[in-house]
Amino acid sequence: MIFEVLVTVVVVGGISAILSALLSVSDAIVNNYGDVKITVNKKRNIDTTGGSTLLSTLGTEKIFLPSACGGKGSCGLCKARVVTDIGPVFPTETPYLNKEEIKSGVRLACQIKVKKDLEIEIPEELFNIREYQARVISLHDVTYDIKELNLVLNGDISFKAGQYIQLVVPPYGKIKESTMRAYSISSPSSQKRTIQLLIRLVPNGIVTTYIHKHLNEGDELRILGPFGEFYLRHSSSDIVFVAGGSGLAPVKAIVHEMVKTGFERKTYFFFGARTTADLMYTDLFRRIESKYDNFHYIPALSAPDDSPGWKGETGLITDVMDSYLTKQGSREREAYLCGSPGMIEACINGVLKKHGLTENEIFYDKFG
Amino acid sequence: MKQEPELTKIQELMRPGKLSATGFLGEDRRPLSEILEEDRLALYNLGLSCHFIAHVLEKLMYKGREGFGNPVKAGVDLVITVDENRGVIPCPFRHGYLAKKIDVAVKNVEKSKQLRFSDLSIHLIKEHGFFQGKGSVYRIEPQEILNTLDSFIKDCLRDYQAP
Repeated sequence: MIFEVLVTVVVVGGISAILSALLSVSDAIVNNYGDVKITVNKKRNIDTTGGSTLLSTLGTEKIFLPSACGGKGSCGLCKARVVTDIGPVFPTETPYLNKEEIKSGVRLACQIKVKKDLEIEIPEELFNIREYQARVISLHDVTYDIKELNLVLNGDISFKAGQYIQLVVPPYGKIKESTMRAYSISSPSSQKRTIQLLIRLVPNGIVTTYIHKHLNEGDELRILGPFGEFYLRHSSSDIVFVAGGSGLAPVKAIVHEMVKTGFERKTYFFFGARTTADLMYTDLFRRIESKYDNFHYIPALSAPDDSPGWKGETGLITDVMDSYLTKQGSREREAYLCGSPGMIEACINGVLKKHGLTENEIFYDKFG
Repeated sequence: MKQEPELTKIQELMRPGKLSATGFLGEDRRPLSEILEEDRLALYNLGLSCHFIAHVLEKLMYKGREGFGNPVKAGVDLVITVDENRGVIPCPFRHGYLAKKIDVAVKNVEKSKQLRFSDLSIHLIKEHGFFQGKGSVYRIEPQEILNTLDSFIKDCLRDYQAP
């Protein structure tokens, strides 16, 4: 009886081993796409091995498409036009692509695998994006839930004030893989070797939890950048900045930039906060305001009862901004918004459109 | 109950560190199919539907968003606080749905009871009947929804249209 059981175990084990080996061999054959060529913008040829996503394949070749989620299909930023026919759009891509994009062959690079020779088109400026090693030189609280992170890079970075980088944090605790998120640079663009980020702790957030609970001075991180279309446009219109929380970061970078030119345009910076505990860099903006007649800093508290002694504006930032714009009357304006999606929606639909601003005059980070 | 391989793949995505730091399962070690079935039965016994629960939570979230982070009153006994962050989080059922990073806390001030859920929680309940695993940050017990939101639920019944 025991002998029969042992024989059965050996036979079943042997069959399992053979099946497993067959699976490995078939996997290697089926998923082996061999050498493939990717032609980028008709001018750069990449010889590589097929099988990986287009996003990671390009990354290996130091061509970095924007990606706030690190290739998990949740940010929709890694768009590339694929000229070669690679079949229909996947359901995981459709939420991020409009009809025109689908028609013209735009795909999410993180969702498509390189299985054959491909011809693709990407914006020229993406060739300027670089990968940096960054070391933490300081990390401290600027509010109870926002930290200021200062990094020194292993090379100079050129960016437009208002743009963002992608920060990659290593695996930690139960997080088994590196994770990437986008953060706006808050330091002046004249600083090439160091950058500053403002990072708010997001409940349950992988990267922000790492920054707030695990990161220390001297630690190394990887960053990619710069990315983004959120930067000051040249015109003579008045400028309306609206920010809340860590959305202050790109505005701070742009205001630093404007200090250099002496604020030639009337500029109003509305910063929405609940209480004084949510305010940050108040002294900095007050100093700039006292020096430049064209710069106006308007912080507003929506829960002023919790901040005794507050003498500034009170109410929702949308109402405060509406009141200012109404008093000013009709003027040429551009608006730059950075904060929670709810605040941005309310500013655009509830206030800015009412005051005659068109979509072309309103700017905000798409990764919000 | 045997679990379909597809659900096993989805359950893997629900583990900590895949889509969020703490995941969707908490300390729950049961197969996803069992979690779904138990909550389906609980809801059936309460005489409620996933679609209706999602409708109620959605109304609370929209109301709370008006406060930009400040507490907002709803009904006679509820205070809603909504915290919004930039970015989106994909549904672990992997069909392309992206939820906003909206965290909602609803407190019943009369009963001193509180519920916490997210934009994604609402979608998971509405489309997948998933209330999350026991011990998950955003787990809501069907019975607790009824206990905490009873008067608001009565109001919602007036304008609710089942699909």
